[in-house]
Amino acid sequence: MIAPGTLRPRALYLHVPFCERLCPYCDFAVHLGGAGLHPRYVDAMALELDTLAETGADPAGAPLTTVFIGGGTPSLLAPELLERLLERVRAGFGIAPGAEVTIEANPSGITSEAAVRWLAAGVTRVSLGVQSLDDDVLRQLGRSHDAATAVAAVERLRQAGVRHLSCDLIYAVPGRPAATFARSLERLLTLNPEHVSCYELTVETGTRLHRQVVRGLVRPPAAAAALRQHWWAVDRLEAAGLAQYEVSNFARPGEQSRHNRVYWRGGTYWGVGAGAHGHLAVPLARRLGMPVAPGAAAVRCWNQRSTPRYLAQVEREGQGRAGWEGVQAEQRRLERWLLGLRRREGVRLSTVHARAEAPQLAAAQLVTLDRERVRVTRRGAEVLDQIALRLAG
Amino acid sequence: MPATPIERVRNFSIIAHIDHGKSTLADRLLERTGTVAARDMTEQLLDTMDLERERGITIKAQAVRIVHRASDGLTYQLNLIDTPGHVDFAYEVSRALAACEGAILVVDASQGIEAQTLANVYKAVDLGLALVPVVNKIDLPAAEPERVVAEIERVLGLPAGQTLLASARTGAGIDQVLEAVVERVPAPIGDRAAPLQALIFDSKYDAYRGVIIYVRLMAGRIAAGTQIKMMAGGASFTVDEVGIFRPQMTLVDELAAGEVGYLVASIRDVRDAKVGDTVTNLEDPAAAPLPGYRQVTPMVWAGLYPVEGDAYPDLREALGRLQLNDAALTYEPETSVALGFGFRCGFLGLLHLDIVQERLEREFTLDLITTAPSVAYRVTTHDGAEILVDNPAQLPDASQIDQICEPRVEAELLMPRDAVGQVMELCQERRGEMLHLEYQVGDRALLRYDLPLGEIISDFYDQLKSRSRGYASLDYELRAYRPAELVKLDVLVAGSRVDALSSITHKNRAQLQGRRLVERLKTLIPRQLFEVPIQAAVGGRIIARETVPALRKDVLAKCYGGDITRKRKLLEKQREGKKRMKRVGNVEIPQEAFMAVLRLEQS
Repeated sequence: MIAPGTLRPRALYLHVPFCERLCPYCDFAVHLGGAGLHPRYVDAMALELDTLAETGADPAGAPLTTVFIGGGTPSLLAPELLERLLERVRAGFGIAPGAEVTIEANPSGITSEAAVRWLAAGVTRVSLGVQSLDDDVLRQLGRSHDAATAVAAVERLRQAGVRHLSCDLIYAVPGRPAATFARSLERLLTLNPEHVSCYELTVETGTRLHRQVVRGLVRPPAAAAALRQHWWAVDRLEAAGLAQYEVSNFARPGEQSRHNRVYWRGGTYWGVGAGAHGHLAVPLARRLGMPVAPGAAAVRCWNQRSTPRYLAQVEREGQGRAGWEGVQAEQRRLERWLLGLRRREGVRLSTVHARAEAPQLAAAQLVTLDRERVRVTRRGAEVLDQIALRLAG
Repeated sequence: MPATPIERVRNFSIIAHIDHGKSTLADRLLERTGTVAARDMTEQLLDTMDLERERGITIKAQAVRIVHRASDGLTYQLNLIDTPGHVDFAYEVSRALAACEGAILVVDASQGIEAQTLANVYKAVDLGLALVPVVNKIDLPAAEPERVVAEIERVLGLPAGQTLLASARTGAGIDQVLEAVVERVPAPIGDRAAPLQALIFDSKYDAYRGVIIYVRLMAGRIAAGTQIKMMAGGASFTVDEVGIFRPQMTLVDELAAGEVGYLVASIRDVRDAKVGDTVTNLEDPAAAPLPGYRQVTPMVWAGLYPVEGDAYPDLREALGRLQLNDAALTYEPETSVALGFGFRCGFLGLLHLDIVQERLEREFTLDLITTAPSVAYRVTTHDGAEILVDNPAQLPDASQIDQICEPRVEAELLMPRDAVGQVMELCQERRGEMLHLEYQVGDRALLRYDLPLGEIISDFYDQLKSRSRGYASLDYELRAYRPAELVKLDVLVAGSRVDALSSITHKNRAQLQGRRLVERLKTLIPRQLFEVPIQAAVGGRIIARETVPALRKDVLAKCYGGDITRKRKLLEKQREGKKRMKRVGNVEIPQEAFMAVLRLEQS
């Protein structure tokens, strides 16, 4: 885990909230329709970037090593808007040679021309929201694309020269047998992605899916069934050369997402755009106008979630913050376990409490202890959050 | 203020079921007589502790002097003595009633007579009190005053013509109630020239003045400077102050026979002024104490442990402070393998335990675990030693035990005739032996049973109420110890014995009890990282087993930059919940589990 100290973040998350439709399971900050709003939104992000860079960019000039443009659907942005956005990032913070710059994209509407321009603008990696390669499941998930579109999108991205491709896949879809998911995964493997994010469909409060579940219209699979799909996927992906390096993430050698590893290692990052979260060192947060009580080990901050509110605030004040909190040492310890245990590398024992707990968990075969390093076993991975709680004390 | 002539004193209490309007009626009497100005009224003036107001029960007795100008033009001193309302405090009730000559019986105009009413009416009748029946809440739409008046006549034998109709809420009929108290409650009889005899019917501790003793004078006089002596307790004091409650404490020059008030005499400990004791002159004492004194002793014991070990000194201090005001509470340090350092406390009964626990948690902000209550057993070992065991965990190994004797009580149960069968059945189930059955006037039957105390401390009272549809009442007194075939029922959680979950039970019931206990624990112990076997054992032999399956899945699918704060907060909340659990070995056991033994019958 990187000690936040006075270091400035070398990672940047940019949130583009626009979507063509609302997926029933999604609880991210999204804004429907209105391409007319895109230029204004990119201007606002540029303004926020400038403000942060003015106070917070490293005077020594250490540039960003990872940028992640997530959403929403960032691929909806016209290439020139994306170019403008990355230009501002480069101007304010700098982007290191060989940095990882990821954009999330939806299969529908992807053209080779656009992808070529993304790459020219500095994008190095595309994360494609395939979700499934079964048309019925895609319809059920409320996606705008079908399986053929997804396959075509991969081909176009490859044609454009995208060398680092990640595909999202969802399992544990209500009412769908494991075999349906297995077929999707097999088909996905034929597309040879360098990276796969394979998620259990999570019922998030406030989503349409949640309301359906509450009303009894939809019944999510039992925990055991969901886990069976999970472990099947892990085995299958590993066999295909995609090693699991985090609970839901798999990569060929050298293809792990550097940006996401910053999160799981407890590193600092900037968050720009509606609903974006940042994680900053305390002195930096103070300089940016976020006073925290003494004793805080780091600061987590977040922007206005609603796009109109974000726009209004940034245009008025140059920043879009909705709130922040000082993370106390004890909370940080919990985060360290919660995030660190998700990684294949595991976490190094550092507290007396954890040293006392870990052997008990190891005896119950929930974790393995390799000298000072704690890693969850398969069984442990199923109840990882509880193990984190136990080790954090 | 000089003493009122004895013929113009009236001492009475109000008997009523829990929400039939006792407190509202009392409030209205105070207001109507100008004892309390309307603007100073808080609802339920007499119930002073928050806990009492919330639960609608009275824990400590109260006494208020009302001055009333009656229709005969004379001014009367009316002393309203409020009584506690639960079997745990049955003795306190009897002493409060013994301080009265009459009682207002309040019955809800739509509900009719209910259990609590009946039990206390019987007590009042036995003490020879004059009853003034009042049907209350006649203003409510569901009121059926005629039916209730007839019921009072049928069940209690009180002539319909004597029953008053009132609404404490609107104030209707309140004047008639006051007049009836003056007319029907006899004036006290007592020789004011004789040596002092004052009945202590309650006491409370005040940080500034020491113990405040509530007294009813039966003979003689008392004033500041009087040298007094407790006839049962033996301690002697000099009176600093005498006074009355209006309802706030008000000094008077003296109290004389027939009157009710308080006295303060620099007494530091409530145990020097026990309820039921007689206060007399030190120099010229009364020939005999007033009848009916009973040493109030704890009947049940339970361990009280702080959830967090470092709160132990706070718990010790809180118990010390509660005891100042509660002569029946005892405590001494004990340790448990499972729970750490705590106290073994003695209580009058379960409600008393409940109240003490709640006051500790509320007034002293302590987080507590209470272990299952137990009675005290006399155990004789093979080497001839006799030990008193009030904590099941302390019971010697069965191989060392020659004999275990359990405390038995003589219970007096009053109920309507048609509930006799049900109540007898309950008593038989609880290893009772019937001593006496008698059908009395009206609808009433009396049952006397010899019962093991251990069988009635748990849910006997609740069962009694439910099987008699609320009408049966219970009073009991400790009689003797008798040998019984008792065994210790141990509980093993994940293979280790949890001392705080042990209980002592009859051999024949151990199997059933053990089965129910593990079933209950299974529902109370949340799923953990591991499978948790729960076993019940008698003398090392497993008699029942259940398993809490391991937690199946608890892991977030997506955990990126924006998810971290939210997820951490969720876990922090869970961690707070876990703090209220006790970790025994690898297993987290919630507070309620330690009381599971007690709540078996309800499950």
